[in-house]
Amino acid sequence: MLVPTAEYSSPTGDHSFVPGDGPHTTNGKTTQISDIVVKAGGEDRDQPTEAKDTELGALRAQLTTLQDKLNEFLTQRMQRDKVQGDDIERRLLDEGYDGELSDLKRK
Amino acid sequence: MTVDLDQYAKPGKSYYLALGLEGSANKIGVGVIKHNLGQLSSTNSAEVLSNVRDTYVTPPGEGFLPRDTARHHRNWVVRIIKDALKVAKVSGSDLDCICFTQGPGMGAPLQSVVIAARTLSQLWDLPLVGVNHCIGHIEMGREITGAQNPVVLYVSGGNTQVIAYSRQRYRIFGETLDIAIGNCLDRFARTLKIPNIPFPGYNIEQMAKKGKHLVPLPYTVKGMDLSMSGILAHIDQLAKQMFSGKKPPVDEETGEPITAEDLCFSLQETLYSMLVEITERAMAHVQSNQVLIVGGVGSNLRLQEMMQLMVQDRKGGSIHATDERFCIDNGIMIAHAGLLSYRTGQTNELWNTVCTQRYRTDEVFVKWRDD
Repeated sequence: MLVPTAEYSSPTGDHSFVPGDGPHTTNGKTTQISDIVVKAGGEDRDQPTEAKDTELGALRAQLTTLQDKLNEFLTQRMQRDKVQGDDIERRLLDEGYDGELSDLKRK
Repeated sequence: MTVDLDQYAKPGKSYYLALGLEGSANKIGVGVIKHNLGQLSSTNSAEVLSNVRDTYVTPPGEGFLPRDTARHHRNWVVRIIKDALKVAKVSGSDLDCICFTQGPGMGAPLQSVVIAARTLSQLWDLPLVGVNHCIGHIEMGREITGAQNPVVLYVSGGNTQVIAYSRQRYRIFGETLDIAIGNCLDRFARTLKIPNIPFPGYNIEQMAKKGKHLVPLPYTVKGMDLSMSGILAHIDQLAKQMFSGKKPPVDEETGEPITAEDLCFSLQETLYSMLVEITERAMAHVQSNQVLIVGGVGSNLRLQEMMQLMVQDRKGGSIHATDERFCIDNGIMIAHAGLLSYRTGQTNELWNTVCTQRYRTDEVFVKWRDD
């Protein structure tokens, strides 16, 4: 069976992703229509087709799960970076920190 | 001398077949075109075997966002390709090349579609041909209307340009300095909360027919260029006054209240007058008497009518326009322009298929013409 995997590497650590046991569908959590469109009364007529009961169909579904896992991981990371970034900005501007910027980032 | 367009034909075959994929904005289009060997002419014209399209539609008052538009394209592309091949009664192995829109356009939608193009190219072992979206419009317009060497007015949701051909380039004579005309119309449609089905400009056109009062709007032609953001800001303000009931605008002569229909009418008349003016100026410069209107806004009958009035005052003048099948973004124009490119030996290696949001019309070397 074809199983997709993904690797993420960065200076702070590496990460591997596998689809896991499932069940897997092509209807991913992170690939839905935007909230802003739903709130404006938009209906979703662009759903992906369901996965066929074939090897390629199973690959499509597993890939969607993998994409979800990746998206969630990256979103979390971006949020963490943002919180850290906000903290640096606050210390620089509000607390008058005047040391090296790289020292702040390390904390 | 004419350019030899037959040296890349498959041995023993008397024609070329190309698949075109378009997805630079809110439409995904796939088409299959056939060129018989020899120069294209009125007796040997390109054959449209299929031209399938699906439009991402948003609720009234909303524009199309890149993320959701790209999702629409991703989720429909396979079904539309299958449909286009079925209608054309061809299979992947019959094709000569896969053509795709390389730019200009919205990044995310462009990227979704190029992935489909790359996949098909590798699946069927076919060369890829990146196509400039504007060139697609121009070449398809020339093919359908038979206009030989026109001044091209390219008006759509993302582009507003006056173009003329000279020495293997389509050169831009005038263009918008800020927003595109279709964008101006679409955004005003959002202000009025007009439905986006079939498309906002069509609904504005229908409302404009009922308009009676011409509201003065800024007229902003800058030489051969034009500017539309100020006009939009101005008319948006009038619409807000009209809706809120505070100082509602009235017609200066009759004192009658200004309606949404009047605003649509006035916006169309002002914008299209500006387009006619810069087109006529370009025609005088290049001493041409043909006008070809392409792009989604080109399907507007009032624009065609106003352009006609200008053109018929010029000696031997003629105007060429296409209907919505070819005006509005479609896959067949990408197949057609891409195939012309392919027939002169221009293809893209896989590494060179990256899409670009900025891709000017005059960057393309028009190898298939030498007049």
